[in-house]
Amino acid sequence: MSGSAPYGDPATAQALPADLHTPWRRLDPRMLLIHPVQEVIRFLPALVGAVIVGQSQDSGGQWFELAVLAVAVGVGVLRWATTRFRIEADQIELRKGLVTKQLIATPADRVRTVDVTAPIFHRLLGLARVEIGTAGTSRERLVLDALPLAQARRMREELIHRRKVGVTGDLPAPVGAPVADLPPPLNPAGEQVGEQVGEQGGTETQLLRFDPRWMLFAPLTLTGVFSALAIFSFANQFVQRYLERTDLGGTVDTLGQHPIWLDVAAGVVGLVVLVSALAVIGYALQFWGFRLTRHSGGTLHVTRGLITTRETSIEERRLRGVELGQPLGLRVAHGARLQAITTGLSRKERDRGSSWLAPPAPRAVVDAVAAQVVDDREALTAELTPHGPVARRRRWTRALWPALLVGAAGWGLVVWLDLPIWVGLVATLPLLTVPPLANDRYAGLGHHLSAHHLVVQQGTFVRRRDVLARDGVIGWRVHQSFFQRRVGLAHVLATTAAGKQSYTAYDVPLDAGVALALAVDPELLGPFLARASGEREEKPLDPTPRIGA
Amino acid sequence: MWVTESILGELVLLAGQVAWWIFDDTSDGSRTPHLLVGALWLVVAVAYSAVMPQWRYRVHRWETTPTAVYTQRGWLSQERRIAPISRIQTVDLSRGPLSQLFRLASVTVTTASAAGPLRIEGLDVEDARRLVDELTEATVAETGDAT
Repeated sequence: MSGSAPYGDPATAQALPADLHTPWRRLDPRMLLIHPVQEVIRFLPALVGAVIVGQSQDSGGQWFELAVLAVAVGVGVLRWATTRFRIEADQIELRKGLVTKQLIATPADRVRTVDVTAPIFHRLLGLARVEIGTAGTSRERLVLDALPLAQARRMREELIHRRKVGVTGDLPAPVGAPVADLPPPLNPAGEQVGEQVGEQGGTETQLLRFDPRWMLFAPLTLTGVFSALAIFSFANQFVQRYLERTDLGGTVDTLGQHPIWLDVAAGVVGLVVLVSALAVIGYALQFWGFRLTRHSGGTLHVTRGLITTRETSIEERRLRGVELGQPLGLRVAHGARLQAITTGLSRKERDRGSSWLAPPAPRAVVDAVAAQVVDDREALTAELTPHGPVARRRRWTRALWPALLVGAAGWGLVVWLDLPIWVGLVATLPLLTVPPLANDRYAGLGHHLSAHHLVVQQGTFVRRRDVLARDGVIGWRVHQSFFQRRVGLAHVLATTAAGKQSYTAYDVPLDAGVALALAVDPELLGPFLARASGEREEKPLDPTPRIGA
Repeated sequence: MWVTESILGELVLLAGQVAWWIFDDTSDGSRTPHLLVGALWLVVAVAYSAVMPQWRYRVHRWETTPTAVYTQRGWLSQERRIAPISRIQTVDLSRGPLSQLFRLASVTVTTASAAGPLRIEGLDVEDARRLVDELTEATVAETGDAT
């Protein structure tokens, strides 16, 4: 314990008598191999600069390169040498930095998610990075980069499944989740649990296993297509250079002899095939080997990834619900995807996909998973309450106006600038999409309240059914634009600490929306509603009824 | 305060207008476009300064009970927010240069959700301090990690 005094924040250092502290641990020394490589990659621009300098100067350039390399390797070594961590009975501490020293301490009972990630270099060496997500929206996450894979997994067990009543007993359970629901401690000996349980500890029930056929859904999702386009644009430069140098350029030229529509058709087909193939590759990279299991200790485990493998553990007690998403393409093909609504995952991680509970897959499969994760059939399958004729009218006007503007602009160009008449015709096309678009958008709108969950659904291009636990709602927002107030609609947002932070019922009739909020949280809104009715006269500028009127 | 803020914002726009006037090289001596835009803009600005703050003042209100905080704000678009005391994480009191001039203050109440901070603007400083104290006491009295 001699080492901690200069670093330790006094409060944490005194929290326990010195002899109870566990010793500091280092990261795996094999990171000495990885850090320099990563540093070299990061210093790559500088290295390229060094090479150029070396070429132009002839003498001394070699030394400069070597110096840059040495600095890169040195930084890697220092990072390893200055990083230590330990897991105490009640908190995790991470100490790092040479110039700016940092001590990060996180209470163990605030650990919500644990990510074990192994990028390619790590995998080659049998290492993994551990990222610990805690409650709240903290940006400072604990990252241990890296540990041997087995140790990383064991550590996850230690962190998530070691639940001593002494630690969690006074942890205020979120409303409605009694403390008695806590999983029993796996082993009364506490400290040793992690070591003994290992990977086989507890029992794991498999909820979902990857099926390669699901990869066919990849081209149908927007993200799949986008990632394909990203790869495509990157590859494009390369391909163009290749075309210039080889005979292929000749074949492309001969295409010019065919009628132009054939060229276009061939181009479109080629592009579709290419984008689909790339989307499938992207899907495989992200979701290959996807496996969702439930651990008897009360967590959900997700394992996935082709080259970089990721393992995410989500504490089920902190699961606030699920988002069932159906991008348009998936909806047509009867597919869906599933994401968890949970605290402890940062926005960045959600974007990276740590909250996926099911990749794009057949609807029936995803529904089955959802039913197992959320024990509330009604919330998942019930018919939703539609938002009424006014909301339908608003969908129509909102779909109509842009189409009308585009059409008018097109015909305006034809009339004023003497453009060919097909410009006007093309500009009129969006009008044809208005009825299906508006109808579908309205059909997608809905909300429902089950015994334990609030359900909101919306969207056409990405239809999402958000199933949010009632006790996860921590506040309400009622938003009305000028036009919404004129027709008595409102966006009702339930705010929460999990997932996207707020879930919205769009364009609900005001009184229905307020009734919804009231039903979820009668104690909260009750007093305000009682008073609100008396406020009406004070507000001549607001023609719509007040809250709950 | 809102009147002053809106006038300040309009002064920035005015600077843009003047800059356009000065740097307009293409002008063949004609001032009409400048005068036209300037006049139009002046009318809109005066109307905005006259109407918006009044409207806003009528809409804005707030209330606290032993269990919850409630705010209502906006003018063309209006939003009402409500958060239970038990879920409050931080209570901030902030005073910009303008509000210091007017002896006013804003109180911001945040919850564990990134989507739901409640902001009460233009309180008298003393009232704001009292409110912050009350809320802080109420929050401390609550146990729970508010997530």
